Order: sequence, then structure tokens, then C-alpha cells
Amino acid sequence: MRTLLSFLLLALASAVAAISTSGNRLLVVLDDVADKATYSKFFADLEEREFKITYETPKSDSLTLFNLGERTYDHVLFLPVRTKGLGPNLTPKTLHDFVNAKGNILLALSANTTTPTSLVALLSELDITLPTDRNSLVVDHFNYDITSATDKHDVLLLPPPKPIRAGIKDFFSEGAGTKLIAFPRGVGAVLGNGQLLNPILRAPRTAYSYNPKEQAEAVNGDDLFAAGQQLSLVSTMQARNNARVTVVGSAEMLQDKWFDASVTKLDGQPVVQTFNREFAKRVSGWTFQEIGVLKVNWVEHHLEEEGAPNDSNPEMYRVKNNVSYTISLSEFAWDHWIGFNVPEHDEIQLEFSMLSPFHRLNLKEESHRLAAVHYHTVFTTPDQHGIFNFMVNYKRPFLSHIEEKNTVPVRHMAHNEWPRSYVISGAWPWIAGLGSTVVGFLGFVALWMYSAPVDAGKKVTVKKTQ
Amino acid sequence: MSADSLERLASAGKGDSTRTLLRVIILLLVAGAAISSRLFSVIRFESIIHEFDPWFNFRATKYLVANGFYKFWDWFDDRTWHPLGRVTGGTLYPGLMVTSGVIYHALRALSIPVDIRNVCVLLAPAFSGLTAYAAYLLTNEMTPSSSAGLLAAIFMGIAPGYISRSVAGSYDNEAIAIFLLVFTFYLWIKALKLGSMLWGALCALFYGYMVASWGGYAFITCLLPLHAFVLICMGRYSTRLYVAYTTWYALGTLASMQIPFVGFLPVKTSEHMPALGIFGFLQLLAFLDYVRSAIPSRQFQTFLWVFAGSIFGIGLIGLVVATSAGFIAPWSGRFYSLWDTGYAKIHIPIIASVSEHQPTAWPAFFFDLNMLVWLLPAGVYLCYQKLADEHVFVIVYALFGSYFAGVMVRLMLTLTPVVCVAAAIALSTIFHTYLKAKSPTPEELLPEESTDGTSKKASKSGLRASNKPYIGIYATFSKVTIVGLMTAYLLLFVAHCTWVTSNAYSSPSVVLASRMPDGSQHIIDDYREAYQWLRQNTKYDAKIMSWWDYGYQIGGMADRPTLVDNNTWNNTHIATVGKAMASREEVSYPIMRQHEVDYVLIVFGGLLGYSGDDINKFLWMVRIAEGIWPDEVKEREFFTPRGEYRVDAGATDTMKNSLMYKMSYYNYNNLFPPGQAQDRVRGVRLPDEGPVLNTIEEAFTSENWIIRIYKVKDLDNLGRDHASASAFERGQKKKKVIKKKGPRVLRVD
Repeated sequence: MRTLLSFLLLALASAVAAISTSGNRLLVVLDDVADKATYSKFFADLEEREFKITYETPKSDSLTLFNLGERTYDHVLFLPVRTKGLGPNLTPKTLHDFVNAKGNILLALSANTTTPTSLVALLSELDITLPTDRNSLVVDHFNYDITSATDKHDVLLLPPPKPIRAGIKDFFSEGAGTKLIAFPRGVGAVLGNGQLLNPILRAPRTAYSYNPKEQAEAVNGDDLFAAGQQLSLVSTMQARNNARVTVVGSAEMLQDKWFDASVTKLDGQPVVQTFNREFAKRVSGWTFQEIGVLKVNWVEHHLEEEGAPNDSNPEMYRVKNNVSYTISLSEFAWDHWIGFNVPEHDEIQLEFSMLSPFHRLNLKEESHRLAAVHYHTVFTTPDQHGIFNFMVNYKRPFLSHIEEKNTVPVRHMAHNEWPRSYVISGAWPWIAGLGSTVVGFLGFVALWMYSAPVDAGKKVTVKKTQ
Repeated sequence: MSADSLERLASAGKGDSTRTLLRVIILLLVAGAAISSRLFSVIRFESIIHEFDPWFNFRATKYLVANGFYKFWDWFDDRTWHPLGRVTGGTLYPGLMVTSGVIYHALRALSIPVDIRNVCVLLAPAFSGLTAYAAYLLTNEMTPSSSAGLLAAIFMGIAPGYISRSVAGSYDNEAIAIFLLVFTFYLWIKALKLGSMLWGALCALFYGYMVASWGGYAFITCLLPLHAFVLICMGRYSTRLYVAYTTWYALGTLASMQIPFVGFLPVKTSEHMPALGIFGFLQLLAFLDYVRSAIPSRQFQTFLWVFAGSIFGIGLIGLVVATSAGFIAPWSGRFYSLWDTGYAKIHIPIIASVSEHQPTAWPAFFFDLNMLVWLLPAGVYLCYQKLADEHVFVIVYALFGSYFAGVMVRLMLTLTPVVCVAAAIALSTIFHTYLKAKSPTPEELLPEESTDGTSKKASKSGLRASNKPYIGIYATFSKVTIVGLMTAYLLLFVAHCTWVTSNAYSSPSVVLASRMPDGSQHIIDDYREAYQWLRQNTKYDAKIMSWWDYGYQIGGMADRPTLVDNNTWNNTHIATVGKAMASREEVSYPIMRQHEVDYVLIVFGGLLGYSGDDINKFLWMVRIAEGIWPDEVKEREFFTPRGEYRVDAGATDTMKNSLMYKMSYYNYNNLFPPGQAQDRVRGVRLPDEGPVLNTIEEAFTSENWIIRIYKVKDLDNLGRDHASASAFERGQKKKKVIKKKGPRVLRVD
């Protein structure tokens, strides 16, 4: 029944959501609507993925992110604009509310234009710091395109980013082969240590950020904004409500000319195609909730005791009950839900907690359906009554957060659930004592009643004294 | 009216059946008076459950009625003490709830549709009628005159000391427990007098009921052995005592152990040891009695010494070993505070924080007992004169009752019955002496005196009163004066009782009454307003954090889970709440998150001048928290260097930053013109700048600001800390990070 239902839901879901899980209304903010021609391939890719794109300039009167308290767009893409301010419709507060209302923002910066103050303010709230100089630029004297940036070394060539540690799903470098990402004239950001922030693309160890106008001759170490891997070229922030904000340091890398360009690294290496088109698709797809989106289909727990009722999700458990817990997870892959497989070297865990976890168990993959994977475990409730939570807290980079809490009280033993006294061997002496007292008393009474009084007169006096 | 009819009227009271009829009528009237004087609260306010504890009892009763007895017995309550829960069925005295449940179902069976709330509200008055009857029975065992019993009944019925816990709506354990206390004592006296197993068993039965009803049963558990011990010391050991005591002890202990909350306490805790000791002692005495009849007296002497000495030694060693090995629990804190009133204040602040655990102020005795206070010694003196076994009981009870009533306010309740009994004995003796219509003539006495010349000589040197003892007392003048005075006292007593009941003990404390300038009554209903708001506007499982005083009310009226409540079984949990209230927001927030708190409720009386508010209770929270975390919460830091407890501009930083202070005064100065914010309880002017709250936000404030409810914010969506998040909300720009000194903070992945 459950499977059937989930299949139905799945069929329904895949029929409706052939695109992003959070809607298809995309707003593009750019300086001049005519500018969109330079990004035509990028936009064509988005439209192919069924996004309805609206193009607006920041100062446009019709531009509004909220109407009557509801979002008017699901996603916003900011391309570089020349103005310093974004106008009253795009204040930091509005953007902040937009993220809090689960709207996604993709932000493309450029070293050639100043980043608008309202975006800088928003980013600083997210703990993403941009260089204070308006013309800062990331350069690398070892990884640049020798054809297009022979002198300036400002077109970085980077291999597609691999996961930085085991157990993280690879979204951005899969199938890249030897292709390189070109990062022309971009801005690097510095990320805080918050867990919501994750860089997609970091600068190589030899890159640094400088201001070509003021620091043309030499860069003083104290004035250096950041260098090496601390510079994040494409950074992401996934809010607690799973809204996503991505900062792409170079808007130019999304332009048509870099999508199919051929580039060469130093040292006379072979000419390779750029990976930009695919990378842009994946970054925008991630930002607009097309990949890396997890959902919990259902959670089921029940008593795993012999002879006990097997109801799903009972209201209450008892101490020392065997309990089975199953959670069904799906992942969205571009246009349909698939079962979510935990990456290798990673585990999804269940906590059974009251104030602190009493159990922390790895969930095992129980069954793999078409569009869902069921994770399962069986455990014994602790010998402590209280209000417990089944807690699955799975938060990994580039995957939407799963924080699934199901509260169940665990009660004490009822008065009739203890083993009976005759079952406990330690109680036998006491039971024997009880029996012997009863027998002894009855025997005494019988003896008393059937032994005739020796002297009738004496009995009367006894009575009197009482 | 002719003399004939007068004669007939006078003789009408002399027949036995007429007397019985009169007694029945009088007792019915007494019960009527007892019940009706407790209805002030219903008439003044409404049929509502009062105060704090009754709300839990009411809630438990509703659960019992809805789910049946066995569910109730095994009740695990997941809506209190979040997230620990409470094994409620095993940690309460079920007598009260079961009694009202039985009454409710009985009335239903008689097809009288009645609301369980009304059963609960009116249970205490109904039982006060029974208590009056029990007092009548007990007094009748002391003295042959039934007028003493009737007086005791009416005293018991209207004495404020008892009314304080039994007005309509005061649905507390004491409501039925005092009846059971008095009735158990009556049965004990009866059993002792008759040496009857039947009465002893009845006594044990009611003792069991008492144990099921109230924690104060320990008073019986200690008083009966004490009585027995005193009797033995007076050389009054008898088989009657043996039969009565052993029957009561054996059956009563078994009965008490059936209550899950009591369980093995009767054989484990020190409070119950005297009863066990006397039980053993009586066995020894019975054995010695037998030995004495069997062997010659010289040998018996040596036997006695050796035997008694060794038994005493073994018993003492056994007790010490068992206590130190942990078989017998050491004396509990509440018990220590019975001996040393300062003990709790130093060691167990949670006990000292309850006002009814404070030592009694002397006016309270007069307030609660009025003229009975000075009749008590007279009654005790009269008991000394007769000094039968039952009179020893009254003396012992009066002594210990007075002591305990002096130590703890709430124990006034256990003193009241003996005061009523003793006062009734004294007063009836006075009336008997002075209301005799016939007085012996002096001629009758003359021959007696003349035959005894020596005594006449001796008495000449004595007082005039002893010289001619009968003249003064039997004179009409003294009769009229004394009887008139006593009647006046009685009338004053009734007036006092009625006044105290109507003014002091009939307020539900859930609803506050005040007077408008024109003298009309104005009801301040903030509590119920706030609880209703919680009920209607929050999720069913929204956890409410408040100081424990309001736990039962939130559970009962708002039907929302609470962290701590008036069943103060877990001091650490209460201290946790105290710490959250007494700490800075940054410290409190993780605590509230960990305990899944959704709302925080506080009581603030500053606007109205309501002095029972949380700022005034705040020091107790600090003290209780300090007991667990002496390094993190320090009482000293809430006082200014000059040792003042201030809330105005001169308050310490710790005070101003504490969550409780911030919640109390948040937005408060907006009510007043600038610079004139005034706290009417503390009578101080508050600083111009109100406190700023980051981690919680105001959700509700009641009409008179008595209850303020705050919602605990979720973690910031963008991962900021709350201070900067709310600074952003207020529109403050984030300060530009100017080049920091020292090494860069690098991101580590």
C-alpha cells in the first residue's frame, strides 16, 4: 500500500515538476535588456529547462520581488550592472526577505563593474566578504590562458572542482574529462567559517587578488585581500530553509564567447575546450533547486515485538521496546525524482534523543525503489522514560538539509507489564514463606478450634481480664 | 405561656430518643453551616478551581474520568516536565481523584448529570461536613457529655485554620485528608479503648485511605507510635494496646504500600522507623509479659536487664548499619526543616521558596483559630485531670501539633482538629459547670464542714474561694456573667470565622478582585486571558517555559506542555529553568533550544502593582540555579555593591542582562511619557532605554501586563547570530570590518 502510494505520488510529481522543484519563474536583473545577447546560450539553456525568464533593469518600476506578501519570482539572477545602487525595489532587506521566503539567488560579479551596495550588504550578512576595492581582480601567474591573457594573466584556467573530501557527492566535475573552466576577469570572495557556506570553485594555490590600478607594481602582504585557496571564485550559501544563494565571481564566464572557447594552459599543453557551458548549467541548476535537492517521502516507525500490534507510527513506546525506524529519501535530478543513495564513505544516521542522544545509529539501505531509497534500522528503546525524538539530521555540502524530527513519548512499565512473581526464581523463597504462613495459620486455627478447653472455669476468668 | 407548657418543653429534651433526634438535627445544621460558609468563593467569583495544585488534581481527575482507573494508574504524562515526562500515576496520591471519580460516576448512575468540574469544586465543602461529624465522634470518646462533641463539630466546621484549605474550589489533597485524619484518630481511640481487632482493622483501612490521599499521612504514622510509646512509658502497657497497635500497624503498612508513590518507603525511610520500632518494642513487651508470668521475679530482673540491653544494642547497631549502607534512607530535607527552620534556607532553596513552608508568624495562630487558641491549654489541662489513655492522646497530639504548626505554616491544618477537640472539652466543661440550674444550698454543706474541724482550720488560712468554694460559682451573678461572656466569645468567634473566610480564604488567586473608585468590584482576569491565548494561538505541543509556580495552571488551563511545574520532584530541571531566566540571552538561548522551548511565560506586576510577580521571585530562581551551577550563576552579582536588590538604573549589569529582567521590562517604557516609566511594585523609576531582546520576541501581553509571553526565535535562517540578525532587522548597518589586528581568520574545510 505504502509503496503503491509513493509510486502514485512519484508519478504525479514527475508529471508536474519537469523542472526545478521550487518553481520556474526566473527574474534576470541586468543593466540593459539588450545585454542579454552576450549570454544567449546560457539563457537558451535555462529556457530549455523550462524556466520562464523575465528580464528587468534595476530601476524598472515594474520590478518587484513580492506582491501581497507572496514571492513574484522563484529565482533571481543578478548580472553585473554599472549603477552603484539597485534602487528601492532591491534593498538588502527585500533580498533578505526573498531568501527567507525560500527564493534562490544567483549572483554574477565582475571585476570591471562595481558590485552594487545592496548586494554587498546582503553578502556581508551571509558572511561572504568581497574585496573593498572596486576593481579587484584575481590573477594567477601559473594557471592562465596563454592565448587570451598573455600579459595580464587574468583568465584563470581551472580543472572542474572535485569534492574536497570523501563522502561528498560530486555535482560539478563529473564527466569533465580534461576540459578546463575558464574564469576570466573575476572577483574572488572570502567566506566565513559558517556551516551554511560552501565554495564550489576555489582559486588555485598560486592565485591572488589585487587591484590592478592601485597595486600595479607590487602587492604589500598586509594589503593583500586574500590568496590561494582562501579565495572562493564560485561560492554558495544554502540557508536553513534550503534557499540557495550562489555567487559566481566572473559573469564573463557565463558569456557565449567562453562557452565554447578553446584555451591553453602555460607550458605548451594541448588546446582544450572550456567546460564553462556545462559548469554554468550545473551551477545554475544547483542554485535553482534542480540538483542536490533531497526530500523525505515518509517516515515510519513501529513496534518490532513479537505478538505486539504492528501499527505504523504509534503515539507512544515503552522502555526497552524494540522499535523499527524507516525513512524514505529521494533526490531530484534535473527533471525527476530518483532514490537518494548516500555517497560512499558517508552514512546517514538516526539519533534517538532526549536532551542528548541515547542512540546514534547508522541507517542501512533497506530497499531501493524506482524513486526512493528506504533507510532502516531496528533498536531497543533505552531504559529511561521521557519524550524522545527520532532525529535524522543530515546536512552535507550541496545537498538540501534534512532535519526530520518525530517526537514520541517513551513511557515506563505499566503495573501489569512486569514479570509475575512466580516467574522470578529469586522470589520463590518469599512465595514459599507466604504459603507456609498461610498453612501455618490455618493449622493453628484448626488446632485451636479442635482442642477442647481443659477447664471451663478458667476460660471465663481469662475472658474477664480482657 | 403557662408553667405547664414550659415544664413540658423542658422535659422534652430529656428523653433519649429526643436527644438523639436533637443531636442529628444539630449535626446536620453544623454540616450545613460548614458547607455554606465555604461557598463564598463560588458566590463572589464563580465555580472555578483555585490556585495552583488544585489545577493538577483537576486535570488528573479529568484524565481518570475519561480513561478509567487502570489507565490512570499507569499514566505517563508527556505534557509536563518536558522532555523528561512524569510517571504521574506512580507519583501522586490518587485518593482525591478516585474519590471524586467515584462520586461522579455514582451521580451519573443515579442519572444526575453533573459536570466533573462541579464535583471537584464542591468536594472540599462536602467533606468538611464529614470532618465536623468525625470531630464530634472523636470528642465523644474523650468525655461523656455529647455537648462537647457538638461544640467540637461546629468548631471544626467553621475554624478558619481548616477552611483555609477547604473552600469551594480548593480542590487539594487536604480537602479529604483532614476528614480522614480525624476519623482515623477516632478509630484508633476506639480500637485502643476496646482492644478490638475489628476497630484496629477499620483504623488501618482509613489509614490506608489517608495514605492514598495526602503526604501528611506521616503525621499519623508518627503520632500513633508516639502515643503508644508514651502509654508504655507511663506503665500502661496492656493487651488492648498490643492488639490495637499491631493490628493497625500490620494492616496499615500493607495498605500504605499498595500506593505506588509510597511503595517501599514504610520499610525504608527514617520517617516510618518509629512505627516499626514501636511495633517491635510491643512484641518484646508482650514476650516479657509472658516470661514474667513464667519465671520467678529475681531471675526475671537479671533476664530483663540482659535482654533489654542486648536488644537495644542490636537494634541501634542495626539501624546505624542499615542507614549507612543505604537500606534506610537518611532523613529528607523537608524533615530537617521541621527541626531547624533555617536549614532549608541554606541547603534546599526550593523548599524555602514555597511560602507555605515558612515558619508561622504568631498572629497567624490567632487569625486561624481565634479564641480556640486560649481554650486549647484549658482543654489539655482538663485532659490531665482525667488522664485515661485517650486523654494522653489529646495531650501528645496537642504538643506535637503545636510544635509543627509553629515550624511550618501549612501544618496549622493538622493542629486545628486537636485544638477544636480540646477547646470543645474546655468550653463544655465551663457550660456544664455554670449552666446547672440547681445549685447545692449552703446548708447541705454545713454539716460536712462541722464534722471535719481540722480541715476547717486549714482552709481558714487559705483563699476565700477555697474556703467557701460553692458560693462563688453557684451564684446567679457569676453564672450569668460567665455564660454571657462565653456566649459573646462564641458569637465573636463566629463573626471572626465568617469574616476571615469571606475576606482571606475565598479568593481563587486565578482571578484577582479589586475595587473601583466607586466601590464596585472589578475583576482582573489576566491569567485566564493569557492561558486562553496560549490555548487558541499556539500549537498543541508548543512547550511553555515558565517558573514552576505556573506549571500546573498552564497544564490545566492552557493545556500546553510545560518544563517544570508545582510537583517539584526534579530540582535540577527547575534549576535549569532558573538558569535560563537568570542568565544572559546568549546563555539562555542554547538551554531553551535544547529543551525545545517554544514560548516563555512570565508574570509581571509592575504596571498594576501586583507584588507576587516573577521579579520578586527572581532571587529564588537565582538561588536554586546557583545551587547547581555555582560558577555560572551567582546571587551576589544581582545585588549592587551596597547590597541592594534594584531594578532601576542602578541595577547591576548581571541583573539588567538577565533574561527575566529583559522580558519583564521589554517595551515597558513605551507605555509612559519619556523618562517617566515607573514600576509600581518596586516603586522605582526605570531607565529611559528599555532592554533589547534578540533571541526571543514578544508574542502576547495581557490587558494589565500581568502575563507576558515571548516566543523563542528559531535559529537564524542565514546562519548569523541573533544579535546581528536583529540588528539587521532594525536597519542598523553592519559595521565595516576594519582591518583586524593579528592573524587572519582562515576558513577551514
